[in-house]
Amino acid sequence: MNPDEVEFIGEKQLISIIPTFNSSTIHLVSGDIGPFRASLPLNVPLWIAINLKQQRKCKIQPPDWMDVTRLEQIKDDEKSSRTFTKMPSEHYMIEAKLLLGYAADDISRADEIRTVIKDIWDIRMSKIRSSVDMLIKNGGSYAAVDNLTLMEINTMRPLLPQAMDQIHRMKKERSHLRPPTQNTTLSLLNSSHTSTSK
Amino acid sequence: MNESEEINISNEVNSDESDSDELILTAAQVIQIMEEAWSNEKFAPEILPHKYEIVECILGQISHVEENLSNLINDDLRRSIHQMELDRLRYLVSSYLRTRLEKIEAFVCCILKEEDERASRNKLSYLSPSELEFAKAYRDGLDQHFTDTLKLLPAEILNNKIWQNEIITPNLDAFVFAKAKSQIEGVMIERDEEFVDLEKGSQVIISYSNISNLITNDKVSLI
Repeated sequence: MNPDEVEFIGEKQLISIIPTFNSSTIHLVSGDIGPFRASLPLNVPLWIAINLKQQRKCKIQPPDWMDVTRLEQIKDDEKSSRTFTKMPSEHYMIEAKLLLGYAADDISRADEIRTVIKDIWDIRMSKIRSSVDMLIKNGGSYAAVDNLTLMEINTMRPLLPQAMDQIHRMKKERSHLRPPTQNTTLSLLNSSHTSTSK
Repeated sequence: MNESEEINISNEVNSDESDSDELILTAAQVIQIMEEAWSNEKFAPEILPHKYEIVECILGQISHVEENLSNLINDDLRRSIHQMELDRLRYLVSSYLRTRLEKIEAFVCCILKEEDERASRNKLSYLSPSELEFAKAYRDGLDQHFTDTLKLLPAEILNNKIWQNEIITPNLDAFVFAKAKSQIEGVMIERDEEFVDLEKGSQVIISYSNISNLITNDKVSLI
């Protein structure tokens, strides 16, 4: 999946806008939106919000979590936690990219928010790298990836599945040669997962 | 336009217990199913049971909206939003169908062989009628091409027909990211030796062969 496709999925997320125009309800295939009343907030999918914003037809109300204090807290939690913490939104990176890109004037302290989100992303990326490294070194064939967002999972896709497949092939070859040794299953990316041996 | 419109789709379950009860789905639910099918198809190494009814339904919606759009009085805003939604839906459907065609082209012999087996055991077909037609035409073309070009080779190479017996099959052990749609117990990992339970909403990277049946049963989705 390329990042644009992840963005395509993320753009379905609802966001609150304040329109500057009046219009009756629009009956889309995916559901009704509207009616639009000037200066009355309503929820629309992100792709519509960005489009209206580009035409200067609305103000976007950033989601609750897009706030410096809140994000600093998330950043600290992420730093101190050994595992991945749950993000406030399944598509936080996409929302941040689109909103900060197209509606920065509707967000207070946009530059600071951009920096903190980038920090959070970087912390999580470095965790991903060290977890993947550990997983491969231990020759694992299963791992929990809870709390990782689609965009983050997507960054592992070019390398991790293929690497695990190669390990799997080597193990298979080896088990033909000598009796199977005891296998330990790893749940590295998130230790909250329990695996039971039978 | 399609105000409170509901679509009747027979929900044919592609499994042994073929209970074909009619389900009433809203257009939004149909899109949801399509998106999941798209993602599953994208990441599964093998071809999955087709979602022909869902595709048909969305294409029907698209042409329905298009028809209405041409009657719409000049209202640029509404028109552009409708147009954008249509483009998104069209992308979704065509990307899904293209992914399937790519798989058919890559594994044509293997897929047709499995289809024959399914047909002989009276199981539901994985390919839609038009996909099946395409697959057969593609295989015939491929066969013709090989026969024509290989004519020039010495007879002893030609007679052992290696290229016909060595069919290309998808790597079912490939690793995939999956999300549990409900609580699942005892998913096998590592050849009969270890089992894990998946909580609803949990995400894992796991070998496709261990969860392939859970995808067709709609218990997990690939992400």
